[in-house]
Amino acid sequence: MISRLLELFLAYEEDPNVKLVILKGKGRAFCAGGDVAALVRDIRGDDWRAGAKFFLKEFTLNYLMAAYSKPQVSILNGIVMGGGAGASVHGRFRVATENSVFAMPETALGLFPDVGASYFLSRLPGFFGEYVGLTGSRLDGAEMLACGLATHFVPSAKLAMLEAALCIVDSSDPVIISSIIDQYCEQPSLKEQSVYKRLDVIDRCFSQKTVEEIISALERELVHKMDVWISTTIQTLKKASPTSLKISLRSIREGRLQGVGQCLVREYRMVCHVMRGEVSKDFFEGCRAILLDKDKNPKWEPSKLELVTDSRVDRYFSKMNTEEWEDLKLPTRSKHKLPLYAIAKL
Amino acid sequence: MKEKKNEEEHPSFSMDRAFQRTKILTNHLLQSSPSSPAQIPSLSSNACLDYSPPELSEGYAFDIKEMRQLLDGHHVADRDWLFGMMMQSKLFNPRVRGGKVFVSPDYNQSMEQQREMTWKRIVYLLERGVFKGWLTEKGEEAEMRKFAYFEAVGLFDHSIAIKLGVHFFLWGGAIQFFGTKHHHDKWLRDTENYLIKGCFAMTELGHGSNVRGIETVTTYDSNTGEFVINTPCESAQKYWIGGAANHATHTIVFSQLNINGTNQGVHAFIAQIRDAVGNVCPNIRIADCGHKIGLNGVDNGRIWFDNVRVPRENLLNSVADVSADGKYLSSIKDPDQRFAAFLAPLTAGRVNIAVSAVYQSKVGLAIAIRYALTRRAFSVKPNEPEVLLLDYPSHQRRLVPLLAKTYAMSFAANYLKMLYVKRTPQSNKTIHVVSSSFKAVFTWNNMQILQECREACGGQGLKTENRVGHLKGEHDVQSTFEGDNNILMQQVSKALFAEYVAAQKKNKAFKGLGLEHMNKPCPVIPSQLTSATLRCSQFQMDALCLRERDLLKCFVLDVSQHQAKGESKEHAFIMSYQLAEDLSRAFSDRAIFQKFVEAEATLAAGSLKDVLGMLRSLYALICIEDVAFLRYGYLSVDNAAAVRREITKVCSELRPHALALVSSFGIPDAFLSPVAFNWIDANSWSSVQH
Repeated sequence: MISRLLELFLAYEEDPNVKLVILKGKGRAFCAGGDVAALVRDIRGDDWRAGAKFFLKEFTLNYLMAAYSKPQVSILNGIVMGGGAGASVHGRFRVATENSVFAMPETALGLFPDVGASYFLSRLPGFFGEYVGLTGSRLDGAEMLACGLATHFVPSAKLAMLEAALCIVDSSDPVIISSIIDQYCEQPSLKEQSVYKRLDVIDRCFSQKTVEEIISALERELVHKMDVWISTTIQTLKKASPTSLKISLRSIREGRLQGVGQCLVREYRMVCHVMRGEVSKDFFEGCRAILLDKDKNPKWEPSKLELVTDSRVDRYFSKMNTEEWEDLKLPTRSKHKLPLYAIAKL
Repeated sequence: MKEKKNEEEHPSFSMDRAFQRTKILTNHLLQSSPSSPAQIPSLSSNACLDYSPPELSEGYAFDIKEMRQLLDGHHVADRDWLFGMMMQSKLFNPRVRGGKVFVSPDYNQSMEQQREMTWKRIVYLLERGVFKGWLTEKGEEAEMRKFAYFEAVGLFDHSIAIKLGVHFFLWGGAIQFFGTKHHHDKWLRDTENYLIKGCFAMTELGHGSNVRGIETVTTYDSNTGEFVINTPCESAQKYWIGGAANHATHTIVFSQLNINGTNQGVHAFIAQIRDAVGNVCPNIRIADCGHKIGLNGVDNGRIWFDNVRVPRENLLNSVADVSADGKYLSSIKDPDQRFAAFLAPLTAGRVNIAVSAVYQSKVGLAIAIRYALTRRAFSVKPNEPEVLLLDYPSHQRRLVPLLAKTYAMSFAANYLKMLYVKRTPQSNKTIHVVSSSFKAVFTWNNMQILQECREACGGQGLKTENRVGHLKGEHDVQSTFEGDNNILMQQVSKALFAEYVAAQKKNKAFKGLGLEHMNKPCPVIPSQLTSATLRCSQFQMDALCLRERDLLKCFVLDVSQHQAKGESKEHAFIMSYQLAEDLSRAFSDRAIFQKFVEAEATLAAGSLKDVLGMLRSLYALICIEDVAFLRYGYLSVDNAAAVRREITKVCSELRPHALALVSSFGIPDAFLSPVAFNWIDANSWSSVQH
């Protein structure tokens, strides 16, 4: 499907009749992410390069979307997870609905938020990106709009009309397209228990330098009064792969200072290390426990945060020292004038 | 019409000049009429010129991460953590320009608002643990981390750096260095947590660099066991005291100590100037220094002491004490040495200022060079695209040597930091001389670099949001505070003089301050300098050593000739000021160059080393281009011309690396400015509407 999307996006860019691209899901989800289980089966056949090849295409698509010369409108009427986030958040317009559920659940799987997440998560307000990326917390449509992951909120009942209106637009001007979506837009209110109302705690704790310090900052918050949300957050972090948490935090932190292209190149290095499994096999263990055997009891290795040393983390960010491996080569985008929003959108 | 429309879509196709002008004018006309709203949305896509990010056309011939590690030297990830901390907070005034976020204080705020914001930012960083261990943790790692954080914060704003510098390095440093255990126990932790806010009252209206001449007087009252601090006259009012005007609760007071009618010289005391809620204490008068040409986020104030009484233990007594019954006690009998011991903490300030100046130069150059890689002006031939600024050799000649200078300063600054962190009583003299020299030279260089960068950005450089121009006002003060640059450079020459006289008297070899080359035979400059010679580090070192050696001899001779006429040594120094200036410059250039050579030597052969080699040559050649080489005859006129020619060659060879060299500074985009990125979008009509 990624290959097909790549072909289509490249073709649409050249086609003067195409003014914008609408991307939506078929069925209940927008996109629940890549087929990780299939990937793991492939790699178990001892071919991590097959996995790498998959990510190479996916990240290339992410970059193409980020630097696309025509507006992409993603209709996020359902689940948006992992790869689904990568296929939408990089585009110009993201329309959330009351059915939207967003999450980057990779740390529970022994992976890390990829598909350019280190770029878009790091640009969310304060340290909300660290929170979303490390805990895999689920966000609803109102929260997505509040934090900027979505640009608009349209009730699902109005989607058909929105689509019809977009289909007859004869312009690629984002200002015009935005004003059309605005006509169907509503301002949702955050639910009482929304995590987005806890930004002060999130900023205090998730701004800490290391994962260990984040957890102890959360625990300090509990000293004075009990708080279910904070203790659940701590539990979630303690269940996630320690290696994943550390490389994810570092990835988001580095991503904050990098362009989207640099982020994808770095994430590609990281994901190749994960697929190859030389530093840690947590990804395979996570997939086994969550997706295949479904015992929900992964045995991480290293099992504790303090055992994941800086030098272990460093290895994920280094080039692969193996033959025939190359850094991700991003397609040149100089031919088309880069739109304003290609550089930063959030 | 149809054909013309096609050409508009493909501006690279041939297009005659008249048509292009018509098109530009049409666009101007259309854009200047906001009365037709239907036109407005389409304007941003209708720019006459395309902005093309320099990354698309410029490659990196070396690993910029590796280069950054070499330049920053230490705690790179910690710096980035702090950059992120600042970027993610509304307090740091993030603004979107041209699709990118930039953080920088709002300098259009009033002085009082800027001070309040500076203080809020400090509280934010405090709450997130940035200052943890700044005064209570010891050791090399802690000190270097403190340096790294201080440098990163200083990239955001000079005011916040100075507020921190006064509180931690001057107030806190004075307690650490002049105080003894009970002072440390009482004050350091509270200072680190900002339970108290410190300032440092040394300078007076009538005395700045000449601290020994200050007029504030303190006496001891043995009946109550208190010191009595007094400002006897208007010229004794404390002046420029950072933190005094609004925030500080406590101050270090420098004062003459008069015990039973005997003046024991300058001593330091702790005095409270405000209570916990901010009211000025009795017998203290405070006034504002007013609006300044920069640093308006710092509340500089003036203080008068009206017989303020402080307990006996408030004398910082590491070198001298007064007993309860009023006897003066000091382990250092020589008042000169006692005074020198007092001034030691100022070295930390000088190290910080020198390093900070280098980082400001990096900001200026990163902005000016990125702009020069995206801005075009004039076509060489009709119908040709306009030429990129940095492709003009004259523009290269303006900016690339400054890049070489900044690299040289970076390596020298890293050395200075290490020298300071590894200090021993034996290295005090070296630290004093090197920090004085580097502080003066780096801050002067920085002002020159910022001015050139401002001009290289043209009118855009004048906008405060573009930073380069504004930074000049913010950092001008660096050539004055913590020792006036001219005075510091005189001290360098005097120290070299003393080394020379001592070596002659004891008939011993030179050792230290990099003067060992004086023990060797005098280097000889070839009569005809070839390109290969000019790029040889041995020749470069020889040339710089030759100048230093000769000027030192000349200076000593000149001073002794004055003395032979019966003048005092002090008067002789004053009269020989021209040689003194040239000598201190020669020392500094050579010392900085030496650190460049040493940094280069640590690298394995490769593209990184090659580029650094070119920068090293360029730095040496611009030093050798200095008029002193002709003035004193170290270079023939022909050789001086050869040096000049070679400089233009190296500049053009470094041109392809310009982007990589400024990217290696590791300054996040958000800490540069809109003119360094898509300056067309940053100025588009749609950006006005937002």
